[in-house]
Amino acid sequence: MAAPSDGQGLILETSGLGKRFGGVHAVNGVNLSVPYGEVRAIIGPNGAGKTTLFNLITGDLSHDTGEIHFAGENVNGLPPHLLCRRGMGRTFQITSVFRRLTALENVQTALLAHHRRHFNFLARARRLYRAEALFLLDRVGLHDQAGKPSGMLAHGDQRRLELAIALASEPRLLLLDEPTAGMAPRERHEIMALVGRIAADTGLTVVFTEHDMDVVFAVARRITVLHQGAVLADDAPAAVRANADVQRVYLGQPVAA
Amino acid sequence: MGPAGTPGGLVPRGAGGLAVLALALALAPLALPPFFLQLLTEIAIVGLFATAFNLLMGFGGMVSFGHAAYFAIGAYTAALLVKRAGVPMLLAVPAAPIAAAVGALVFGFFIVRLSHTYFAMLSLAFAQIVFTVIFKWKGLTGGDDGLLDVWPPALLKSPVAYYYFTLVVVGLGLLALHAVIESPFGYALRSVRENPRRARFIGIDVRRHQLVAFVVSGAFSGLAGALFAFYNGSVFPDFAYFTKSFEPLVVALLGGVQSFWGPLAGAFGFKILEWLVSRQWPVYWPLFLGTIVIVVIVVLPQGFVGLTWGNGWRRRLTGKA
Repeated sequence: MAAPSDGQGLILETSGLGKRFGGVHAVNGVNLSVPYGEVRAIIGPNGAGKTTLFNLITGDLSHDTGEIHFAGENVNGLPPHLLCRRGMGRTFQITSVFRRLTALENVQTALLAHHRRHFNFLARARRLYRAEALFLLDRVGLHDQAGKPSGMLAHGDQRRLELAIALASEPRLLLLDEPTAGMAPRERHEIMALVGRIAADTGLTVVFTEHDMDVVFAVARRITVLHQGAVLADDAPAAVRANADVQRVYLGQPVAA
Repeated sequence: MGPAGTPGGLVPRGAGGLAVLALALALAPLALPPFFLQLLTEIAIVGLFATAFNLLMGFGGMVSFGHAAYFAIGAYTAALLVKRAGVPMLLAVPAAPIAAAVGALVFGFFIVRLSHTYFAMLSLAFAQIVFTVIFKWKGLTGGDDGLLDVWPPALLKSPVAYYYFTLVVVGLGLLALHAVIESPFGYALRSVRENPRRARFIGIDVRRHQLVAFVVSGAFSGLAGALFAFYNGSVFPDFAYFTKSFEPLVVALLGGVQSFWGPLAGAFGFKILEWLVSRQWPVYWPLFLGTIVIVVIVVLPQGFVGLTWGNGWRRRLTGKA
C-alpha cells in the first residue's frame, strides 16, 4: 500500500482506515489526503461506505484499523465534541437541527458552545451572539425565518440551517454528508454554490458526499470514488469522469449526465 | 396581559401576571385559615420539587424515576443535622441541597451513561438503594420509625410564619432554576435534549452536560426535601420510596413539561384535587385521583398551562395541526 505523504499541507489524512460491521468491511483500508482549502467530493454507489467513512473521521464511530490525522495531529479516538473544538464541522445525512428551538436559538446555541460559554449559568443566553447568529442566518438565506421553530421550517431550509449551525463553530474543515438530499434540483445548485462561495471566501476546506453528479462536478475540485468500502479512484473531476472503472461501477451510465 | 408564550415557551404570561400572583400569595394569610396556608405551603414545596425534576425531563429530555432519592437525602440531611448535631435550622436547610447534589453527582455519574428506559430504571434503582439504607440504618435514621420532632425554631413554627419562609425559599429556588434555564447552560441543555448527536458536533460534551443538569436538579430536589421535613415535623423512609419519585413526574405531566411554570401549575392542581377527592371519598380517593390525572393528561397533552395559551386548546378541539 502506497504510504501517503508526511502530512505537509494536508488538513485531513487517513491511512489504512478500516471498519467492519460483523462480516461486512464497510470501510476497507481507505487512504484519503485532503489539502487545505480543497473542495473534495466523495462519491460512490449506495453502501459504498461514504457515511461510515464520515462517521469514522468525525469520531461518531471508532475505527478498527488505520490512522486519522487532522491538521497535522493524530486524532485517533478523539470524541466528536473535541474534534469540533479543534475545527472540524459537519452536517448529517438526516437533517439534524434542534427542532423545538427557533432557527436563531439553534445558531446562538452553537455559537455559545463554540465560545465555551455553555457552562455559564448567569448570563441571559437570549441576548448573547444575536448579531452573529443573524449574520450567519443571513448568509444561508434564513434571516427572515429566524424566529420560527426550526422543526417547522421547510426541509431545504432545515438543511441551510444545519449549515449555519456548522459554520457557527468556525470550522477549518467542513464535512457535509449529502447536503442536498431531498432538495429540488434548483435548490441543490443554490446551496452548493453557497458552500463554494463560503469556501472560497474563508479558505474553508470542504469534504462532501453527494449523489447528484451535476452538483458534484459543478463544485468539487477533486473527487474520491468509493466502492465496497475501498477507494476506486481519486482524481480531478475530468479524469474521474473518464475512468473506466468508475463508469462500470455506475452501471455503465455516463458519470455526468 | 402579555402575549402568549412562544412554542416550547417559558413565560405563559407577562411579568404582570407574576406580580399579581406574588401579591396574592403574600396577602393569602389575611384571608385563609391555617389549613389552607399549610396546603399552599405544601403546594409550594411540591412545586419546587417538580420544577427541579422538570429541569431534567422538560428541558434535558431525561426522565428520572428516582428523584425521591435527592428529596429524601435533603430531608434527612436537614433533619439529622438538627436532631443529631444540634445545628440550627437556618444552617441545616442550605446544607440539604449540598448533600443532595453530592448524591446526585455520585449516582448521576452512572445514570447519565444510559438513556431512555435504562436511564429511568437505573435512577429508580439508586433511589431504592437510598430507601433501603434509610430503612435499615436504624441507629442513624430511626429506620421505619423515622425522625420525629423535626420542627423549625419558635419564630417559624406557626403555619403563617412557615408559609412565608417557604414562599421566600421556594421563590428564590424558582428564580435560580429559571435563570439556569435561560442561561447559556440551559440553551445547551435544550440542544442536548433535541439532538445529542448534533449537540456533540457543536462542541458540547453531552454526558458531562447531562450530569451537571442532574446535579442541579438533585440539589433543588434536596432543598424541597428539607423544606418538607420542617413542614412535616418528621421524616420517614418512604420519602425515598418509588411512589414519592412518581409525584414530581405526575405533577409535571399534569401542569405541562414544556413550560417552566407547568410543574408549579401542576402542583397546585394536583394538591387541590387530592384534597377535594380525598375529602369526598376517604377510602378510595387514590382510584379517583388517578382516573382524573389520566383524563387530564390525555385531554391536555400540554398540561394545565396549555389552557392558558388558547392555541393548544383550540387545536385539540378543532383537530388542526
